[in-house]
Order: sequence, then C-alpha cells, then structure tokens
Amino acid sequence: MTKTIVRYLLLIVVSIWTLAPVTWMVSLSFKGPTEWYAPNLIPKQPIVDNYISLFIPTNPIGGSFFFTSITEPITKPLINSLIAAGLGTLFAVLVGFLAAYGVSRYRAGGTFVIFFTLLTRMLPGATFVAPLMVFYSSIHFIDTYPGLIMLYTAVTLTYAIWLMKGFLDEIPPEWEEAALLEGASPWTVLRKITIPLTKGGLAASALFIFILNWSEFLFALVISVTQVTTLPVQISKYVSAVGRMYGTEASLGLVATIPSVTLGYLIQKHLVTGFTFGRIR
Amino acid sequence: MPKLVVKNLRKVFGTFEAVKDVSFQVEEQETLCLLGPSGCGKTTTLRIIAGLEVPTSGEVSLDGVLVNDVPPQKRQIGLVFQDYAIFPHLSVFENIAYGLRVRKMSETQLRTKVHDTASLVGVENILDVPGKRLGLSEMQRVAIGRSIALDPKLLLLDEPLSNIDAKARERMRAELGKLQKEIGIATVYVTHDQLEAMTLADRIAVMRNGLIEQIGTTSEIYDSARTLFIANFIGSPSMNLIDCELVYNEERAILKSGDFALDVTEFADTVKGRSKEKELVLGIRPENISLDIEKTDPKAIEAEVQLMEPVGAKSIYHLKIGGLTALAKGHPMPEVNVGSKLWATFNKDKLHLFDKKTEEAIV
Repeated sequence: MTKTIVRYLLLIVVSIWTLAPVTWMVSLSFKGPTEWYAPNLIPKQPIVDNYISLFIPTNPIGGSFFFTSITEPITKPLINSLIAAGLGTLFAVLVGFLAAYGVSRYRAGGTFVIFFTLLTRMLPGATFVAPLMVFYSSIHFIDTYPGLIMLYTAVTLTYAIWLMKGFLDEIPPEWEEAALLEGASPWTVLRKITIPLTKGGLAASALFIFILNWSEFLFALVISVTQVTTLPVQISKYVSAVGRMYGTEASLGLVATIPSVTLGYLIQKHLVTGFTFGRIR
Repeated sequence: MPKLVVKNLRKVFGTFEAVKDVSFQVEEQETLCLLGPSGCGKTTTLRIIAGLEVPTSGEVSLDGVLVNDVPPQKRQIGLVFQDYAIFPHLSVFENIAYGLRVRKMSETQLRTKVHDTASLVGVENILDVPGKRLGLSEMQRVAIGRSIALDPKLLLLDEPLSNIDAKARERMRAELGKLQKEIGIATVYVTHDQLEAMTLADRIAVMRNGLIEQIGTTSEIYDSARTLFIANFIGSPSMNLIDCELVYNEERAILKSGDFALDVTEFADTVKGRSKEKELVLGIRPENISLDIEKTDPKAIEAEVQLMEPVGAKSIYHLKIGGLTALAKGHPMPEVNVGSKLWATFNKDKLHLFDKKTEEAIV
C-alpha cells in the first residue's frame, strides 16, 4: 500500500517536473509583451500574435512593434531542420546499424574501435567548433546542407552504434544462422530476420537520434549563415532592441516540438518494445 | 560412397585449440553421435560441418565433393540448434516454409511441401501459431521440420534435448528416435548425454579435448572401451574402476588392492605383451558382477551389502569387497538386507584392464 503511494508520489513529482516548463511555454506563447514577465499562468489578454509573427515577421505583437533582424517566415528554417535532422538521422541509423551489426556479430575492430567511438562524445561539443570551422571553410561546407547533414551524422553516429548494438546483442545469432542454413544470403537474413526482430529497437534509436539532431543548437549556429538556419538557431534570433521576445520564442518552441511528438506518437507501439530493450524471447 | 567425410579437422580460437585432429565418416542413412563432455569440441566440429565456422585446417566433404569453401547457405545441410532457433516473428507454417521461399518455390508446391513436412513431424494442426508461442516439444518438431523441408543431404542436431527437463526428455528422445527412422537422412548428433547417444546412434564417436578417443558401434563402445575415460563416461551406473597392482605369485597372476584380490592368470600373457606397468586399473560393469547367497563358484569373493537401490526390475547393490566399494546390478533378492554377506563373481569375459599411466585399455 505504502509502496503504491510512494510510486504515485514519484510519478506526480516527475510529471510536474517535465510538464511545468511546457505548461509555462504554452501560457507564454499566448501572452502579450506586457505579461511576459508576469507570474500569472492564465494570460489576462490572450493573443495569437506570437504565432502570427512566426510567419509574418513584421506583425505587431499585442499592439507593439518589435524590430528584429528577422525578415523571413519560419518556413525556411523549418524545412532546413527537417532536411538536416531527417537526413542526418537516416544516415546515422544506416551506417550505425551496419557498424553495430559488424561489432555485435563479428566483433569488428575488436574492443578498441567500439570504445573509440565513445571518445567523440567525451568532450564538450564546443571543443570541436574551432577546428571544425577551419576544416569546413577549407572544403566549402559552411552554410551548406551537406555540411550540416554530414556533421549531424557524425555526431550522432556514436549513439546509433551503441544503442543498436544493444538491441542486436539481444538477438541470438542462432536465428540468423538457422536462416543462413535454410539457404538465405547474408543480406536476406538481415532483411528478413534481423531487422524485423529488432525493428522496435531501431525505431527507438531513430527517434532518439532524430530528437538529438532536431534540437541541436551549437553546430547549427556555427555552420549556418543565411542558407541553412535551423529552428533552434531561429529561436535564438528573436531578439529586439528592447530585449528577448519570450512570447514568440515560446510559440516557435511549441511549433518545433510538433514533428518529434508526431513521430514519437506514430511509432509508439515500437517504442514500448524498444525502450524495454527487446524482451522478444 | 560415404555421405560425409571429415578429415583431419582442426580449429583454433585465439590460443585455444578447440578441435585438434578429428576425422570420421557418416554413411547414407546412418546416425553418428559425437559424444563428449562440454568443451570437448563436438559443437565446434558440428558448426564447421555446417559451414558456420571456418576450420583452421582439414577437410569436409559432402557426397564426395569438398565443401570447405562453400558458404553455409549453399551446403544443403539442415541444422537443429540447441534452443531450436525458431523464428519468433513467423508462424509455424512460415518457419517451415522459410527455406522454400528463399528458393522461390511456387506457392502450390510450397503448400504441399510444408503440409507434408508438418504431418511428418506432427505439427500440422498448429501451422498458424506464431513461433514465440510454441512449447519446447513443438519447437523441437518445428525445428526438425524446418531443417528437413529442403531435403538436406545431411541433418545435424546440436544437443536438441539438453534444455528439457528429465521427464519430458525421455519422451522426446523416443519421439526423436522414431522421427529419425521415418526421415532416414544421414545424421550427425551432438550430445553430452551417453544415454541419448546409446539410444539414438548407430555409431558413436567419443570426443575429449578436441580429439576422438574412440569411434564404433554403440555395443563396441560399451563393451570394449579403448580408454579409461570412455569406460568411466559410458554406462549408467558407471563402470567400477579399481586401482590395482599386478602381483605374480608362483604361476598365478593376481590383481591386488588392499584386501581385495582377483586371480587374472588367464590375462597374464596379454598384459605382459602390452604393458610393463604393474599399476593397473580393473574395470567391470555393475551388471557383470553376479551375486549369490551361497558360495556356488569357488572363485567367488565375499562381499557385504552397504546399500540397495531398486531400479525397476533390477536392483543396484552397493558392495564392500575387501575394503573397496563396488556397484553390482542384478535381480532383486528379497532376503538380502543392508549388512548381508553375499558372494560376488566377476564375469571374466567382461573384464577390462587399463594401464594406469597411459589410461589405455590392455584387456
């Protein structure tokens, strides 16, 4: 009984912890500039101007005009984000899956290489910024899609390999060997046995990596100039002469969660098996 | 022509030599059992035959063709894994049909083939059940069905009964034996259970430390074990093994161990010819010690009953003979109790003598 109570209390605390900022964002996004610093949760004069100004940058918010450097609607950053995060995730999952498969099944690279991939995550991203800038400008990758996509793939590849290795290790090699002895080629085995059996894990890994890429800020800020600005960078640009435009930032923040939430909802079924680490047997 | 020929197989993993030098043949329709304790290299040998491991050296030939460089998917070998490896996401039908689909067999042919195979292994009424819902006995049948659906040249079974509890194992062993007869494919069966080997195999190859110690029919292995290890490993209850010293007393040769003495003059010449050692191990199976209440045979030795275990129609007697303990298997004698004195006669035709140093059989 006490156990149940403790469990519920914990769940309530965790729920408040995660949902409070989101609730505040929703509240903020419907508030006018006069209320941005006010502690009330329910806006006294609810407005949708914050949302309109995302698409019409010159639109007044709650009657006042804000002069910013932003001249374009969010459609371009939205598309940029979808392209960079989407393709970055796709490549990371593809390359990561094959790498993880090699490590899991054939111990490719021994124990060192798989550990070595972790090294890229052992330093703060900011450490890489300066060398990356030098390297990217010499190959003319600054402010380009290939530049951003390649970087996102490289940065999330470590997660892709380690996550998917975990899921692949759960699959006994006998299943693959049995299929092999039935006459299936190694690629067929991968397609018909391994992938169907790990699809929950693959979906969970893909979503996790997509969220990482989707919310990545530092590298996007450094690499983008005008052409490949992503949503997180766009959010940071809502600054006017009189201060940050919290309402507009909150509204764009909410809009930006839509793709991740939708994706998560669509693959919900797989996430359950994915996050419980297989348990397919 | 033998179905399978394995020649001088060797497999090294890093610094560990799993298989040292293994050679054997399997004839058409024959079941050969690789028997040995865990870690003796039997499963590795099986995996090399299947093509799942690459041998360090040696040859594997199927139907007279060297298959060393043929990948597993082209060898036409069926393998039943220790835990069956039934595809959990596919139904029984699709599990059996898997290899046929890979070979792009037409749908009508495929259906007939799957149904024929399913009825052979007795799973025709659970064809729609998904793999992850199957019980162990069903899994075993499906696994066999899946591996024979392609009419393989050779069937390999890797300890198929080891995950099953003792009671079900007995039943499944019998079922497996029956199935094997019906299927009639040359089979290599790997097990560490000597009883399984004795009941299912035509011939047994006893393996130890990466080598085959002896290969022969089940009765050859049972009646004339070539080494001490085999003598000890085969048979339940296992053979009595008594450390002895060979003493010559005038014209007679006598095996002595404490107060125990056995006249073995008839073997003296054989022993002399084959070993100079005096330290020998006497081996005799429990069923080859006959017990009597009266001393009918003049060579009978006195024995005291320490414990009796009735096992069905027979009883196992734990005896104390001249300071040694030995097991004897015989008919139950209601008048015998713990502490009773009996007269034990060793059946000399079934006696084994091993050199204690080399562990090899002399007689």
